[in-house]
Amino acid sequence: MKDKEKRKLRGDVEGNARALATGFKYLVEPNRMTLDYPVESMKLAPNYRGFFTVDDKKCIGCSMCEMVCPPEAITMIPRVVSPTGETLPVQEGASQEAGAKPAKKTKRPVVNWGRCIYCYFCFDICPVDAFVRSNVHDLAYYNDADYRPSYEGYLKLPEDPVKKSKKVVPRPDMKRGIKYEPAP
Amino acid sequence: MNLNEKVYDISEAGSIEPEGDRTIALQIGPSHPGSGHMRIKTRMDGDIITKVDADIGFVHRTSEWLSERRQFIKAIPIVERIMLPDTVHANLAYVLALEKILNIEPPPRAQYLRSLAAEINRITSHLYGIGIFGIFLGSSTVYMWAFGDREPFIDLMEMLTGARITNSYIVPGGVRWEMPKGFKEKAESTLQYMENRFNDYNDIWAKNPVVEARTVNVGVVDRNRAISLGVVGPNLRASGVDYDTRKASPYAAYKDIDFEVPKMNHGDSYDRLLIRIEEIKQSIRIIRQILKDMPEGKIIADSIYSQLNPVMKKVFEQEQRVMFPAFFNQMRPAAAESIARVEAGRGEIFFYLKTNGDKYPYRFRWVTPSFRNLAYFSDVAVGYRLADLPAIYGSIDYFPPEADR
Repeated sequence: MKDKEKRKLRGDVEGNARALATGFKYLVEPNRMTLDYPVESMKLAPNYRGFFTVDDKKCIGCSMCEMVCPPEAITMIPRVVSPTGETLPVQEGASQEAGAKPAKKTKRPVVNWGRCIYCYFCFDICPVDAFVRSNVHDLAYYNDADYRPSYEGYLKLPEDPVKKSKKVVPRPDMKRGIKYEPAP
Repeated sequence: MNLNEKVYDISEAGSIEPEGDRTIALQIGPSHPGSGHMRIKTRMDGDIITKVDADIGFVHRTSEWLSERRQFIKAIPIVERIMLPDTVHANLAYVLALEKILNIEPPPRAQYLRSLAAEINRITSHLYGIGIFGIFLGSSTVYMWAFGDREPFIDLMEMLTGARITNSYIVPGGVRWEMPKGFKEKAESTLQYMENRFNDYNDIWAKNPVVEARTVNVGVVDRNRAISLGVVGPNLRASGVDYDTRKASPYAAYKDIDFEVPKMNHGDSYDRLLIRIEEIKQSIRIIRQILKDMPEGKIIADSIYSQLNPVMKKVFEQEQRVMFPAFFNQMRPAAAESIARVEAGRGEIFFYLKTNGDKYPYRFRWVTPSFRNLAYFSDVAVGYRLADLPAIYGSIDYFPPEADR
């Protein structure tokens, strides 16, 4: 031991008794804040950053989201604008009707969910605010290819996998810290 | 630590040095037997430690290299992921260095929101440290308690930023989201809950004779030794130096806030345990002041706001969500260099940023508190028993990914 001024130990019966009493208090009245997932699941706030998609009609294909994406999860895929304003896949070698104007080329973002970190930088850099958010976050895929949806697959927001469970919201509680109450 | 000294190889484990040396080499780690992702190379004389050498780098993630090859804005998620229990401080330190180069001054309300997020994060970081120290000493109760009590604070961050840990809340010029409605009330009840819990923490943990017996007079570092080792943060303050970057060079809203820098006198493991509880109490005091005194106004600097297009301005009016101007994507700051210092949960983060007019940083360098607290290892545990090593290691609140960067 180093020759330092030794501190006196408080070690006493009282301290041990108090520790045991506190332990016993929590044995009788536990203050668990565990969420019984997936029987119950949380109803997340609207500002929760979960899966998101893009509004096909709003998007202008400017590639800003692809440029800002920190993990490079976003890829811009080429599309053509249809007469209704929605975009269609590019068909290579499709026969053009004589005299018809060539379809306007554009690009749309697709997110690789295996890379996305949900920082929402793409969301905020979008000059036309075209991204649509959801607060679904608890989703896993069975194989690697499913993490990279096609554009059509990406347009559909994933459904909440635990939507049948009892939805609860966390409330601060003086005894438990967090108490889960049924969602309004 | 003498770098030229012979480093003991893993093949020497258990071997006896020839010719009269009675010590043996003992490897602790690196496969996380309570050492974290690092190896503690020790020499033992019986069960007395005669030499400790920390072997780090197992979770090196090249955060500097990655950041030097990306636009400036993309470094925010990278630095966050290095300091996972302490994300807001890493984010804040980087943005402060970047703002000095870009010459942006955030408005007062954004400064207060930054301090608010930082203090909530400090509480979660200290609770994390307390919990890990608990499991090191075999007290799984405190481990569960501290990690459970982190939850209400993480829930507050989720309400504020929309993510639990990796918030990416702070951007050059301000913060990204306004404080939501009902946040103040929720924060106040969370703080009250934490204050009530301190009594139970004292009974089970801090004032428990078993914990005292294992930590008092263990791993003593006096004031002068702590200063010469270059230790930072709560570990330095536990040795009796009341140095805190929040006081020494105030950033965010700290110059307007009244708080104390707690310090202890003995510098042993027990003091390093108590100082974290004291700092949580101070953070609670700071959060109360921030919520009371927070000024009204914009949460983003005018120089950034004026670059938003009409759609983005409308979103800001409606949702109080700051969208990014295209400038964030195409930042090319003029050649300059800057430093930033932030008092994170484990100590001071130092940031150095150099630009040369390109769209990537020319040099991106940061020193994390855990890296500076590494100096503890080679010095502190020598002379104590092997059974004291968890009590010393746990009390330092060392986070390997943060040190390896």
